Amino acid sequence: MRSEQGFTLIELLIAMVVLTIGILALIAAYSSGYVALNRATRVSSARLIADQQMERFRAVQYSAVQLNTTCGASCTEDATFTGDPAYSSAAQVTGCTTTDSTCLPTQTKTGPDAKSYRLDTYVEYTCVSGTLTTSPSLSCGSGNPYPVKRVTVVVRSSSLTAPVREASTFTTFPTN
Amino acid sequence: MGPIARARLTRRMRARVAAEGGFTLVELIITLAILLIVVASLSSVLVSATKTEVDANNRFQAQEQARTGLAQLTRELHCARSVTVTNTPGTSLAAGSSGSRIAATLPSTCTTSGGVTLFVTWCTSASTLNTSDWALYRVTSTTSAPLCSATGKIKWADYLTTSTPFCLPSTTAACGGVLRPSGSLPMLHVAMPVNLKGPGAIESYNVVDDIALRNGTHT
Repeated sequence: MRSEQGFTLIELLIAMVVLTIGILALIAAYSSGYVALNRATRVSSARLIADQQMERFRAVQYSAVQLNTTCGASCTEDATFTGDPAYSSAAQVTGCTTTDSTCLPTQTKTGPDAKSYRLDTYVEYTCVSGTLTTSPSLSCGSGNPYPVKRVTVVVRSSSLTAPVREASTFTTFPTN
Repeated sequence: MGPIARARLTRRMRARVAAEGGFTLVELIITLAILLIVVASLSSVLVSATKTEVDANNRFQAQEQARTGLAQLTRELHCARSVTVTNTPGTSLAAGSSGSRIAATLPSTCTTSGGVTLFVTWCTSASTLNTSDWALYRVTSTTSAPLCSATGKIKWADYLTTSTPFCLPSTTAACGGVLRPSGSLPMLHVAMPVNLKGPGAIESYNVVDDIALRNGTHT
């Protein structure tokens, strides 16, 4: 047995460093919870913006489910907008002449968390069955139901890991 | 072990005990000083981590309550045919004005009406948890639109920083900068900022939504 002299200062320092690392790890667990909560806040804020936009489409009549792409700068479709899988130039439903919230392709919204979000709205004709043709007339091919309008709302933000998306189809049935 | 070996061991143990000096006072003071610095810095981190945790909890609760309340309100109004916004009972507010109370009549077929025609009131009343905040209540009656003072009201959200979250937009009078599109169903604009930190400093989470009354008429 080696002669035991108690702890040396070095040993004591090493022990304290180990202890510090352990405590810091515990604190990191706290902050990771905070990060997760922040992320959840961003996603739910984006979801609320998307819901609000979709709700406006639910309120209007079928004929008013369309975009305004000719109102100048505020109706410009940039590369981010046209690069989305929901975008199809040929199937796009346009014709809105107002700058109502439902008509604008891209808008900037402030979320409940006071952060800024980009709201992209796509209105496209789509077929429940069959293939969409727009010329000579709008059709899904003979024997297939008439095309429906599909509204896709995409909320983008640098603080979101992925855009928040929501889609819904609209038909003329029964009377709206 | 023989007696000689045992005696040698005992001698050695005695010698070791005599040689054990423990810490000197200087070593002890240096160690304590270092430990004090480490513990002091760690404890401040720990305190701030605990504060963060409490803050996160408050934020989660306030947000969650507001969202839950809004979800229930949305579900209910989707089924209603019309809704009125009032501050004083009996006097409907003009479009674009914010009020503290909404009254809706739910047909018996609605999922939240319980099989009978139900008069539902959603209203704000002073919060019992935090002074100067407001709570959102729901109260129902089968005879007529109940007042906020009615018994049996149920709280759906708390820590609202406004007493007037409801507003009906028209095509010309906006609510929160939002007009109702022409030819659309009636819409209710709900803006309920909640005080995130609960009791204490205000940091708001502003829950805003528009609810279209699916059973209403397009105008």
